[in-house]
Amino acid sequence: MERPQRWSTPFGPDMSDADITSLFERDDIAAIDIDRFPKHTPLEGVLRNDTRIVRYRSGDIVVREGDYGNSAFLVLKGNLRVVLAPKLPQSMLGRQNAKKKGFFEALSQLWTNSTIPEVRNLSGYEQQGLRGSSDSPDARVFLQDVPVVLNNHRTAMLREGSLFGELAALGRVPRTATIFSEDDAVLLEIRWQGLRELRKYDQGWRRKIDQRYRESALKNHLQESSMFARLDDTTLNAVADKVLFETYGAFDWNVSFQRLRERGSSQEAPLAKQGDYPDGLLMIRAGFARVSVQHGTGDRTITYLGAGDHFGLGELYAAWKNPDIEDMAMKTSISALGYVDVLRVPAPILEEHVFPFMDPPADTLMELAEHPVSDDALMEWAVEERFVNATRAMVIDLEKCVRCDDCVRACASTHGGNPRFRRHGKSSENLMVANACMHCTDPVCMIGCPTGAIHRSLQSGSVIINDMTCIGCATCANSCPYSNISMVAIRDSNDRPITDPESQKPIMKATKCDYCEGQPGGPACVRACPHDALKRVDFHDYNPTGSM
Amino acid sequence: MARKIPMSLVLFGVLALASFAALFWQSRLITVQLGDASILTGYTLFVTILLLGMFNARKKLSMIPLGRARTWLIFHVVLGVFALALFWLHTGGIWPLGLYEQLLAGSFYLVSASGVFGYLLQKALPSRLTHTGIEIIYDRIPAEIAEIRERAETLVIECTKETGSETVAQHYVGTLFWYFQKPRFLFAHLFGGDAAGFWLRGPGSAARRYLNDVEKKLFDEILDLAALKAHVDRHYVCQGVMKKWLFLHIPLAVSVVTLAVWHLILVNVYVL
Repeated sequence: MERPQRWSTPFGPDMSDADITSLFERDDIAAIDIDRFPKHTPLEGVLRNDTRIVRYRSGDIVVREGDYGNSAFLVLKGNLRVVLAPKLPQSMLGRQNAKKKGFFEALSQLWTNSTIPEVRNLSGYEQQGLRGSSDSPDARVFLQDVPVVLNNHRTAMLREGSLFGELAALGRVPRTATIFSEDDAVLLEIRWQGLRELRKYDQGWRRKIDQRYRESALKNHLQESSMFARLDDTTLNAVADKVLFETYGAFDWNVSFQRLRERGSSQEAPLAKQGDYPDGLLMIRAGFARVSVQHGTGDRTITYLGAGDHFGLGELYAAWKNPDIEDMAMKTSISALGYVDVLRVPAPILEEHVFPFMDPPADTLMELAEHPVSDDALMEWAVEERFVNATRAMVIDLEKCVRCDDCVRACASTHGGNPRFRRHGKSSENLMVANACMHCTDPVCMIGCPTGAIHRSLQSGSVIINDMTCIGCATCANSCPYSNISMVAIRDSNDRPITDPESQKPIMKATKCDYCEGQPGGPACVRACPHDALKRVDFHDYNPTGSM
Repeated sequence: MARKIPMSLVLFGVLALASFAALFWQSRLITVQLGDASILTGYTLFVTILLLGMFNARKKLSMIPLGRARTWLIFHVVLGVFALALFWLHTGGIWPLGLYEQLLAGSFYLVSASGVFGYLLQKALPSRLTHTGIEIIYDRIPAEIAEIRERAETLVIECTKETGSETVAQHYVGTLFWYFQKPRFLFAHLFGGDAAGFWLRGPGSAARRYLNDVEKKLFDEILDLAALKAHVDRHYVCQGVMKKWLFLHIPLAVSVVTLAVWHLILVNVYVL
């Protein structure tokens, strides 16, 4: 077998020569200097392999507010609308309306739960504005009455040549607005790899993307940090102008992680190495990074950093405070855990605007390195398995668990008789992380869902699936690096499999733990454990020997 | 590291002690006044028994917020001890005189004993399972054993094909097949013994001295599978006991409630 290459799997397999030619005839593409692209990554290759032409019909939702995506869009033809206010209701976006169940409604599950697995009431599916099926490439949710939406909601128009979605695609942050097609439209969808190349090799695109980020998000991000909170607007703008954007690792880290795990190896892109000279503060914007220190012949993880954390402050401060000391090298290394998006604030900026006004930072990293190695075994394991991505990992203390499965039964009792997790998973010492959705900080499962059926609940922050708009394409299940999403064949109340009338294939649905969204009393699994063995944890705050 | 005593245990314990002290004092008072204290203690005991049964109902009603099962278990355990003390206060001794009362007392003691037994099992066995280093769902165990056996038999066939010798095959048929057939050394696994390991080091590997290097390598792989099966067997027996003791405890509890209801009817009809 030949080694797979960068463009072995094009984004849009149907991109024809005519498509490429027509793209080159457009002003926004023609303005790109093709000579700046290296031979191994020509612009023509980027367009052919990292983009695809997508056609939308009137009312089709292109992106939803809150969704995660790995592509940006360039409007080639037609008009799109950005919904400003009021926001579209969740049900219109193909999402679940999370209504908290009342006591008696919850109790009624005692007799309404079916003994037949995965039974569905078919009448509910017919009322959804859903176009296409799992087999069709253009399956999507659409707005059924565009004029009414335009009347009742303030919107802004996106015309031909507009670029949108690039910040969410490159920054791994949720989409900030819902955009739908007002009339029949043609869009060029550019996956993040292509967008990265365009930003890297074309100054115009880089300026456009960076400028938009600096205008829309960077200032807010800096202001959230206590270091920059005291700066006035003018100084903050000056700081923002000097900040560098850097991305390490692969955006689709989950795919490579699954592959590498199967091979028993892992590769992490380094951000800074122990012994290097610190030239700037690294502020984590999205993703995770491992902080390690050399120990014996390997690297020992001492902590991990996520969005909002920063790295290198201690060394930079010490170098500024004691300019005569020669050895001001980094005491630790930092590497991307899959994917990390960072802001690099150059040292001179800190020396001018931050250090003179702050107390010396505590050297917490080196304190951590002084702990016995055995103390870090749990964290090292959690980092290695990427459980650090979890906000609600199901951790079972096997020294307490009597394997009674009360948790599984409780889960089934709140989900129509079907348990939504498996009491099985990876273990380290006495702790097991069961195969239950961890409601990740970086929910890779949400990328690529064609209908937005899998989404983050606005009320609880849980990642949930709207069964009504799930088309069973398994994109989410295939993306989940922890195998916590199951595809199930649904049945009717007479225990007959529900099939597609055309293909006769069974209708599949993605299912997973929804953290008992809408159920009174919180997650049933935790409440049902008589031995306090099961907990839902964020590893950042988890201390198995003490209270959380 | 010492485990913290749950706050709810302290709270329920203090409440149970206070309640028992109040009942004891009240029943003495009634007796001194030539009254019948067994009415008070009997009805209290009956209510206590019903409350004990509520724990099982809680398990069936996981969909509604009835508090954490952990708190319910602590309540159940404390109430169980309270019920035992109350039972002695009610009967005025350890063993009653009437035949029906003896039947009721016997059932009550059995359900109490099975409860204590189950509680101790649940404290002792989980760590024994964890220390095997493997985790397996109980319902999957027969399939897992069959899979291990199949892998062992594949190795035996491979050994015979590769070496042309039947020594390993004969040993498998004569000795190891018995072991791989189904879970073995159940009592030893339950009580933490290593009879399976002892057997594998003795009769289980007796043929090893007669094998050449190629056979030894494959035979050692079979023994590794046998060691894995010992862990699976331990899960089978320990998980099985932790699940099945309830099949004793719950029917006994139902019989106690039934007998107590009839006892109550009899007392109300003939005594009061």
